[in-house]
Amino acid sequence: MNKRDLTLLGFAVVVAAQLAVPAWLLIEREWTLRDGQVYKFKTRPVDPADAFRGRYVWLGLEPGLIKVPDANQWHYDRKAFAVLGTDTNGFAIVERLEREAPAGQVAVRVHVGWPDLKKGEVHINWTGLDRFYMTENKAPAAEAAYREHSRRAKKNCHVTVRIRGTHAQIENLFIENKPIHEWLREHPGK
Amino acid sequence: MNKKALQWLYSELPRLVAQGILTPDADARLRAHYGPVEPARPARLAVLIFGVLGALLIGAGILLVMAHNWEDLSRPVRAGLSFLPLVLAQGLVAWTLFNRPQSLAWREGTGALLFLMIGASIALIAQTYNISGDLPRFLLTWALLGLPLVYLLNAVVPALLYLWGITEWACHLRWEDGFAAGYWPLAALVLPLLAQWLRAGRYEVRPTLLLWALCISVTVAAGVTIERVLPGLWVMLYAGLFALLFLAGEFWCADAEGFWTRPLRHFGAAGVLVLAFMLTFEWPWKEIGWHYWYWDRFHHSGWRVIPDVVLGSLIPIAAIVLLGMTVRRKTPLGLLFGLTPILAILGYALASMTETYAPSAGLFDLYLLVAGLWLLVTGIRINKQGQMNVGLLAVTALIVARFFDTDLNFLLRGLIFIGLGVAFLVANLVMLRRKGANHEQA
Repeated sequence: MNKRDLTLLGFAVVVAAQLAVPAWLLIEREWTLRDGQVYKFKTRPVDPADAFRGRYVWLGLEPGLIKVPDANQWHYDRKAFAVLGTDTNGFAIVERLEREAPAGQVAVRVHVGWPDLKKGEVHINWTGLDRFYMTENKAPAAEAAYREHSRRAKKNCHVTVRIRGTHAQIENLFIENKPIHEWLREHPGK
Repeated sequence: MNKKALQWLYSELPRLVAQGILTPDADARLRAHYGPVEPARPARLAVLIFGVLGALLIGAGILLVMAHNWEDLSRPVRAGLSFLPLVLAQGLVAWTLFNRPQSLAWREGTGALLFLMIGASIALIAQTYNISGDLPRFLLTWALLGLPLVYLLNAVVPALLYLWGITEWACHLRWEDGFAAGYWPLAALVLPLLAQWLRAGRYEVRPTLLLWALCISVTVAAGVTIERVLPGLWVMLYAGLFALLFLAGEFWCADAEGFWTRPLRHFGAAGVLVLAFMLTFEWPWKEIGWHYWYWDRFHHSGWRVIPDVVLGSLIPIAAIVLLGMTVRRKTPLGLLFGLTPILAILGYALASMTETYAPSAGLFDLYLLVAGLWLLVTGIRINKQGQMNVGLLAVTALIVARFFDTDLNFLLRGLIFIGLGVAFLVANLVMLRRKGANHEQA
């Protein structure tokens, strides 16, 4: 095999690897969107000072605080698994927090924030479920709507997430029970 | 021999033969000794530069257009389209490998484009599926998928992009309190190619560019890959690093000409002078040393201190070994710049043992003054205006800095500023006049 053949063979392998990485990202996500179980998450307002993110809506899923029996044992920024259930209104709740992925149960990978030792609670960050991308001309309007409808007085904004095992994938953002794109079409002035 | 010098020599030879200074035989022997010189072809260089620039602009443009995230298209269509720029760029590289393997412009341009498109397609998929992901992982994946292009295309632009990628990765990882020492083996992955280029032609454009980029990259990485358990370690690390770069340049690339063709030497020298200037202040010497050992940083993993031990000792030691070799060669500039790691270690020991800062800062006051004056005087003596000005700048910076430390009145400060300005002007005028006189004599 001469040098040119070797280069071409090497290039073929590189091309395959370069295609495989985005392809795997895509397949994994499509798989979850197809086979995953749907959970509805209530949302909470995000810090307005931190709200401007350009082309996506910055999401904050509920619940953000979880009761745990051993709050002092949870360290900042450690990985954890939130075992999910649903409340009587059909929204997702966290039944308990685990350090390892529980076998055979639906659990989402989260990161632990600061523990509140007095109340026996820990803050959690829904890592990887905090962005919803929109076109650049719609994102600011969508974000304003999100903020308005996530306020304590209104609370009629939610996100649907598909979950397969421990793999979670955002499906859509809803305001007043309508998908965000549809809601924006109906409220053009917003 | 330097290509420019050789071109000059060959342009002079016919005149020398005509004037009878050289015999035709000597002329032929000189040409046989130095070999043929490849004529500079500015047009080819322009094609190369504009080819790469064009590819980078097109790449960036495609990124922006795709990032617009048009939502009229369905998700699978958008996902499919995300592959389009990648596949097109791969096609162009394949075409180059088949049809234009000898063309540097095609290799560099398509390599740069494909490198960017790898990142683009991953980012577009991430956007389509609302993946916020982690930035360091994305950067590392991107850089590693692009690295083979450097070797397959034998091109420097993908190598520069790769270095940018891993440096950025190390910085972001550090920002998130991660362990970034993996930078060093990753950076070492470009060394085989650099070595090959250096062997083929030490002062060619590609190895020179890569060396400049490496200098910048390792300087950033040295700071972000140490864990800072020993406060002030950076003083010795950077003193060693800059001295090492300078001495390596002096040792292995001494006969280059011009500023840009000597990255190691010039980057190292600038680093030494800037660092020495910083060390003339007292703040770098405050609360450093083993009394302030910061072991509590680690909640769990003590092994993270390994890069500090390895880098903090290996780099200064390597610089001191090279300094030892320089002493034998008796190059005064090498001694001057190579001395910094020893002074840094001395200053560090003084500051951490006595907990006083003035002696260490004073040591570097003295060093910068001596170095500045030496550069100034020798610059004047050997007619090197650049060297003279660097020396003058070092001395001026030192004087100005010390001024702001003291409570001198405005009149005196003003007068000294005027004095320094006059010194600059006079020195440069004298130098220009002397050069003019030399030229006329010649």
